[in-house]
Amino acid sequence: MAIIETFGLSRYFGKNTAVEDLTLTVEAGEILGFLGPNGAGKTTTIRILAGMIAPTKGHAIVAGHRTDRDVERLHEIVGMLTQTPGLYDRLSAKRNLEYFASFYPSIEAQSQVEKYLRLMGLWERCDDKVGTFSKGMKQRLALARALVHEPKVLFLDEPTAGLDPEAAGEVRQLIRTLREEGRTIFLSTHNLNEAEMLCNRIAVIHTRLLALDTPEQLRRRFFRRQIVVQLEASDAKVTEVVKRLSFVQEVREEGNQLILSLTDSERNRPELVKAIVEAGGRVVAVSEKQYPLEEVYLRLIREGNVNES
Amino acid sequence: MSRKHIRNILLKEWALLFTDPNSALVVALLPFLVVGQGILYIWLAFRFAGESMLTTQVFQSALQKLVEAIPGVAQLPGNEQLLVLLLSQFNFFLLLIPTMIAISVATFSIVDEKLSGSLEALLATPVKTWELLLGKALAGAIPALAMTWLSAGVFLLVVSGLGWGDLSRFVVTAGWFLTLFLLTPAVAILSFMLGVTGSSRAKDTRGAQNSALIIIFPMLALIGIQITGIVWFTPLLILLLALAVGIADFISLRAAVRLFRRESIVVQWR
Repeated sequence: MAIIETFGLSRYFGKNTAVEDLTLTVEAGEILGFLGPNGAGKTTTIRILAGMIAPTKGHAIVAGHRTDRDVERLHEIVGMLTQTPGLYDRLSAKRNLEYFASFYPSIEAQSQVEKYLRLMGLWERCDDKVGTFSKGMKQRLALARALVHEPKVLFLDEPTAGLDPEAAGEVRQLIRTLREEGRTIFLSTHNLNEAEMLCNRIAVIHTRLLALDTPEQLRRRFFRRQIVVQLEASDAKVTEVVKRLSFVQEVREEGNQLILSLTDSERNRPELVKAIVEAGGRVVAVSEKQYPLEEVYLRLIREGNVNES
Repeated sequence: MSRKHIRNILLKEWALLFTDPNSALVVALLPFLVVGQGILYIWLAFRFAGESMLTTQVFQSALQKLVEAIPGVAQLPGNEQLLVLLLSQFNFFLLLIPTMIAISVATFSIVDEKLSGSLEALLATPVKTWELLLGKALAGAIPALAMTWLSAGVFLLVVSGLGWGDLSRFVVTAGWFLTLFLLTPAVAILSFMLGVTGSSRAKDTRGAQNSALIIIFPMLALIGIQITGIVWFTPLLILLLALAVGIADFISLRAAVRLFRRESIVVQWR
């Protein structure tokens, strides 16, 4: 069931286009990674979907509510983690959370505050002033704030930006926990590994939507499926034999590895291994070539730029 | 829900206000500086200029209006008439306290939240704009009002200490009470509404303070109008004035809500 739907969503700021004709759907319980370079319209899209700003054209529906019309109700059912934690440094963690929780009519603030402070590992420090917290702790508290009213949809705008690797890891672990709880999360990030680790699907945006698919499908869109055969030692004779096989479309040698494109990667694999062994080759491992998502992303952005110009 | 929201905003603002040494100091000390300065000016005028001040046409006119309003003043010797005339300005002088606290405190209220990023998070909650603005305005206006009343008490104690206690009966009149308990609250709310509005429109604290400074001038004008004898503010006039400022409070809240552009706050401020 779709919980976020956008229909030709566009937003202009004067002559500048932030988002153009964005149409996408996010299913309930899904984590959608929203990738794009700086100024690609990620934050603007999140702000539109969270009812903070209105679109210039098109519209969006989140959990059954038009984001430009039913703003008050929308704010009750979505949670938002902004780019900066935006907490009150002179107040305690508990007081910060209680304050924001107090605006939601449908929750029991005290118990929710305790629940999320515990979940974020901040309960022991709940009476300490936020000004004394590390960046990672502040980010976890901001995440608790976004969750305290049990939102149906959570918008996370670069949740690990500016955090050290340990703190970023803690935040990612919390997002994994939320994924296991079946929350719908719209995650804007620059971090491709993070997107791949956490997200069911990835949308790449550069003002316009360039691609939307699972990481695996995005790879296949640009790179043919390839098999890597790791040999004990490179052998010209083995390479020659492999080249002559009818189901081999392409062979490339990289050190002790043969990188091959096959007609049918699954079915042809046993025959391939058999042929190599018969030619005297010693096979150490056979695996599928994994192209980093970064290469897919960069190609998408480059192609997007070419189309723009 | 609205009352609960406003109460929560108010309590949070107080928690922030009283944990910020600068703001707390302004709220605590400014009233005493205003009172001290006012009494010093009166004492200097009385001590060095004395009765001769009354010979000027401006003060003659003011004294005449004072006597018309409080006939008992006519029976006093000249120097005491001068004292009553000067001390009678003090209720308007006290109006400077909430306006100055507003400039120091309210003008930071929205700008600071925007700069720290907490405003964007707050605007993502179901809080209504008018709740936010009224909560912030009341959070400053209430302590400012309390300090103004405390200052009025301090003023009367100092007047008594200087041996002018007998003259209090000509100063602490119905007009004095109306000013303190009707006009001052209305002015306090107006000052803070303007301060908060300025804060919501300005891009930095300096811009917010500049826009809020405007409220000082009408307060000074009240003193100027009365002491130069143009108008003597009788209880009826003060009542009408309080009513007018009360209406201005309501209008300023409506205007503040209209001027508070959530979108541009979220998008443009960095």
